[in-house]
Amino acid sequence: MKKNNNKKPSQKLNVVLRNDGRMLLKVLKTTPSLFITLVISNALGGLSSAAGTYFTYLLLNSLDEQKEFSEILPILIAMAVFWTVYFIYASWYRHYYDRVIRRKLFLKLQTELFEKAISLDVSCYDDPEFYNDFVWAMDNAGSEATGLLDDFAALIRTLITSGTLFGLLITIDPIIAAVIMVSSVISVISFHIGNRLSFEQEKEMNPLWRTRRYINRIFYLPDYAKEVRSGKISEVLIDKMNENTGKIVEMRRKYGKKYFVIYDLLGGVLGNITNMGVVVYMFIKLLNGDVLAGAFAASVGVIWNLRWNISSFIEGVMKFPKHSLFLEKYYGFLNYVSRTKSGTEQVPHFESLELRNVSFTYDFSDHPKYEYHDEDYKPPENTHRVDALKNVSMSLKKGEKIAIVGYNGAGKTTLIKLLMRLYDPSDGQVLMNGKDIREYNLEEYKSRIGTVFQDYKMFSATIAENVVNGEYDPENDRETVIKALDAAGFGEKLSELENGIDTMLTREFDEKGTNLSGGEQQKVAIARVFAKPFELIIMDEPSSALDPIAEYNLNQAILQYAADKTVIFISHRLSTTRMADRIYMFDSGVLSEYGSHEELMELNGKYAEMFNLQAENYRKKS
Amino acid sequence: MKNKEKLNKQKPEKKKRLPVGRTIANTVFALKQVWHVSHSYFIIYFVNTILYAPLNFLSSTYLLSVIVDGVKNNKPVEGIAAFIAVIAVWSIGMELFNGVYWQIISPGNYDKVANYVRIKLSQKAASADLSCYETPSFFDKYVKAMDEANDRIYRVMGSVDNLIWRVTYISLSSFLLFTIDPWLILFMLFPLLMGIFRRMERKLGHEYITSQKPINRKQDYVRRTFYQSDYSKEMRIGNMYVRMLRVYRDSFYEFRDLTRKYGFKTAILSYLQNFGLEVVTIVGALTYAVYKTVVLKELTIGDCIIVLNAVGGVSYNLNNLLQNIAEFGEHALYIDDMRYFLDYEPKIKEDENAPEANGGDIVVDNVTFRYEGAEKDTLKGVSMRIRKGEKIALVGLNGSGKTTLVKMLLRFYDPKSGSISLDGKDIKEYRLSSYRESYSCVFQDFHMFSLPVVENVTLRKRREGDEELVENALKESGGYDKIMSLEKGVNTTLTKEFDENGANLSVGEQQKVSLARIFADDSPFIILDEPSSALDPIAEHKMFENMMRASEGRSVIFISHRLSSAVSADRIYLMDDGVIAEEGTHSDLMKKNGKYANMFRLQAENYVGKEAEA
Repeated sequence: MKKNNNKKPSQKLNVVLRNDGRMLLKVLKTTPSLFITLVISNALGGLSSAAGTYFTYLLLNSLDEQKEFSEILPILIAMAVFWTVYFIYASWYRHYYDRVIRRKLFLKLQTELFEKAISLDVSCYDDPEFYNDFVWAMDNAGSEATGLLDDFAALIRTLITSGTLFGLLITIDPIIAAVIMVSSVISVISFHIGNRLSFEQEKEMNPLWRTRRYINRIFYLPDYAKEVRSGKISEVLIDKMNENTGKIVEMRRKYGKKYFVIYDLLGGVLGNITNMGVVVYMFIKLLNGDVLAGAFAASVGVIWNLRWNISSFIEGVMKFPKHSLFLEKYYGFLNYVSRTKSGTEQVPHFESLELRNVSFTYDFSDHPKYEYHDEDYKPPENTHRVDALKNVSMSLKKGEKIAIVGYNGAGKTTLIKLLMRLYDPSDGQVLMNGKDIREYNLEEYKSRIGTVFQDYKMFSATIAENVVNGEYDPENDRETVIKALDAAGFGEKLSELENGIDTMLTREFDEKGTNLSGGEQQKVAIARVFAKPFELIIMDEPSSALDPIAEYNLNQAILQYAADKTVIFISHRLSTTRMADRIYMFDSGVLSEYGSHEELMELNGKYAEMFNLQAENYRKKS
Repeated sequence: MKNKEKLNKQKPEKKKRLPVGRTIANTVFALKQVWHVSHSYFIIYFVNTILYAPLNFLSSTYLLSVIVDGVKNNKPVEGIAAFIAVIAVWSIGMELFNGVYWQIISPGNYDKVANYVRIKLSQKAASADLSCYETPSFFDKYVKAMDEANDRIYRVMGSVDNLIWRVTYISLSSFLLFTIDPWLILFMLFPLLMGIFRRMERKLGHEYITSQKPINRKQDYVRRTFYQSDYSKEMRIGNMYVRMLRVYRDSFYEFRDLTRKYGFKTAILSYLQNFGLEVVTIVGALTYAVYKTVVLKELTIGDCIIVLNAVGGVSYNLNNLLQNIAEFGEHALYIDDMRYFLDYEPKIKEDENAPEANGGDIVVDNVTFRYEGAEKDTLKGVSMRIRKGEKIALVGLNGSGKTTLVKMLLRFYDPKSGSISLDGKDIKEYRLSSYRESYSCVFQDFHMFSLPVVENVTLRKRREGDEELVENALKESGGYDKIMSLEKGVNTTLTKEFDENGANLSVGEQQKVSLARIFADDSPFIILDEPSSALDPIAEHKMFENMMRASEGRSVIFISHRLSSAVSADRIYLMDDGVIAEEGTHSDLMKKNGKYANMFRLQAENYVGKEAEA
């Protein structure tokens, strides 16, 4: 994910120093060898870049002074020795050491972030704004850390190069040194203005790029292929594309003229004039015999090198606030403390569960947020906010089968998240065996509940590991896993697989991995709840990917397996709900009706209306 | 040897190379696109390149040597000054020209070139057979070509530019060195021998990078499981994350071992090259030149300046020249994809002279079809008849071939055997666009375009009276109230892709907009593929009522796996594994007591209880 922080960073110096310094210290602590070798290699690099000019200077001067060959030879030998040694170090470092040590730093930083990620509340993932920042930080932590380090090292390199070259120039002629300094500073300023302008340009052009990408996508994504072929929408889109290009060209011209003034007149042309001025000036000095050939060649030859190094140095310094901005975000994640805290009570065996006046609204205000988003970036609209709960009370006992029904957005899934303690209620309490679930040990509490999520996921691991959802112990778990898969209706497929439950899923890691169909995956997901002695089972639309026959079989299997367990079904197909002991009907976050199927039909309210609509055609003709 | 085999396995995609002729042809093709879009841009580009090429050498190396030698040998000052003046005017003038070219002329013009290529590609794409999307290689090339359209031609221009610059630099410098002392050419050529090491290094580097791919893929995957919200719930129950952390850590050790294996070798190879260039060539040539100057007095200080700058420069550029030329090979590969795509002729294509379609009965006669690359037929001898004005329901389990049959009707594919005819004539004989226009379709995976509601409904360029047409259609599909509640009504842009004030509709509302498509024209056929999947039961009910009313006199084919909606169809076709297993009205099929009846009862059971079976 590429993301530009388009707003110009404006941070206080001490904040920048603190953030960047902290990271550099961290690198120094985690991988001291990376830090040290990088600094050495850049210091040497800085010297080597100046060395060429120095050697030129010495060599040509000696020639001009008509020294003996034996006097000049040491300079040549020094050159040879210097390059020989320098390249030994540089090759080893660049080709081996740097690569490994960098990855090691990545590994350490990533592991830290992974562990942090696991401890984050699920609510963080539901908050699109937080989530985007989070993903971005995860993606960039390693490269940003080494980026900071590289910029720091480059600073050392350019400082050494420009310092050395500048020192040489002063000894040759202070006036030239001053002139080149001034012209370098002007070019840095012009560069800076140009940069700011290009920020503006990017910002202004972003919508145009987006349009372009969007239209391209429509033509090449298979998703749109049918619509594009069955109508004449492509003509509309091509018109739009031409119009868009027209705007791009116009914008390019507009900015191009400004760039020309900034970069070329202030930077390039001025630089050229300085350069030719130095040539003429030194030519006169050479004519008058004030300087030797070496000084002449070195001072003319050094101009571009020095200018480049001075600009890079200043550019390099200006990168630090940007790093600090990133790090601000990064530390934000590392310092964020989860809201759902574990209690201390041991969890007893499940007897009852009660919701007492529970209300819930999605509130992400305590997530770390940042002000400097990309102009182009808009957080996706928050779809969860509507899906809240208002003053819900309900209770269930051991062994009961409960159905929760309602339209999309009625609050069904939110309810489940509260029961699982992925969230805590904004108001009211969830009680287990009469005690608030917040008082129980969180890990232990969670381990009592088996859930099949609507959007279940398979991991790229073996089937067995997917069923136990973690590390699998072949000695003790084997039987259980196979039984669970059988119960979930996966038995037939399992017998076709050569490696049985040790088959790797997905081809992510293993070319011989198996890709399961949607229905088969769902069965594996269902097997998860059969594989462990859960006391409460939650099924969130467990049959969505199954056809009617498989759905029927599944329902039978669940009833059989979970005869003495507590089961909560969520569904908006009412067909599944008849077998429930009790049905809870939710409507926009409110528990509107509950009771058995018969009771609710008699009540003739929302549930009856929904059921009758779905049943109408079945009933009419059969 | 064994290691080598393993490595070869890990890089299945060996980079292919095009023949020289094709490479040149593709380069010319790229330049032609530029010429076609703007002659003046093309000319200015070459003028700029050619004027710029010799400047670097003249203004740095040659100028210095002329000045130093001139002064040391007491040549007339006027001559030297005149030379300085010429170079000064040239380089400052060039800087101005260059600035105007790079900042003002090139960027806008280049966008025009890219746009020109992209539009050609898009038009091609819109006419490509749907089957192309199922051929992975075709699709890959397509996506690549589209991506490449943005800057590949620009890069070809850059390579040409570089080539001219390099050749000029090399010829000027070597000519000068040759005139100074022919032996210097040997020093210059020495690094070319180093080319062997360079190739070895490149090859190892390539192997190194390809062997890293599985490692990187593992790390990426682990990263995804940790940060994607899809996995967030599962990662929090059980201890899957421990397993994933282990994968991540192990992959680091794999990487370290790999780097150890390749790193030392490439380090040595790279060292040999640097040593060869900097020490043997530059220091060597310099020692030779100094010796001839100081001891033999055959050369001047100016000559030494040239040797100092040019020997290294020529060697460096000679090596890069090879790379420069190799670039053309790489460009050519990408341009080949582009051309492959542009030259592609769809199998199902428009024939301007073919007759227009005007509705009538559709007869599907013994149609068999197989997707490209599939192992078995998706449709196996399907026959059916759709009479004018009939309402047909296609039902069946997932994967039974319902959607494929619909695609055949729309002529997205042609049958492997058998035929489909309209009004007694094979559908291949009609003009393609007119045939497809005789259908209004709502697909299961319908899509909204980031365009105003009107265009999303009509799917064509705006015409007079469209707004009213669309408003009426939305009334029928149930989307009217929502759309009219938006500030700009039917002119509201959908999605925020282009327009900050665009509207993001819910899936249900999107479905209503796409359903309006069938009410906005009066095409003789309507196809609805699972039209109610995103609607709740009440909305579904209303939609069906409206559709039945609006479609009077038009034939309707709808697909559903909720059987409740099939009841009211004139005829039901039950598909099972690519064949029509049963057909008839609802009561026919219930009487028959076959698969349909069985499925219907299973679904009905939960609604009306066991008595339904009686």
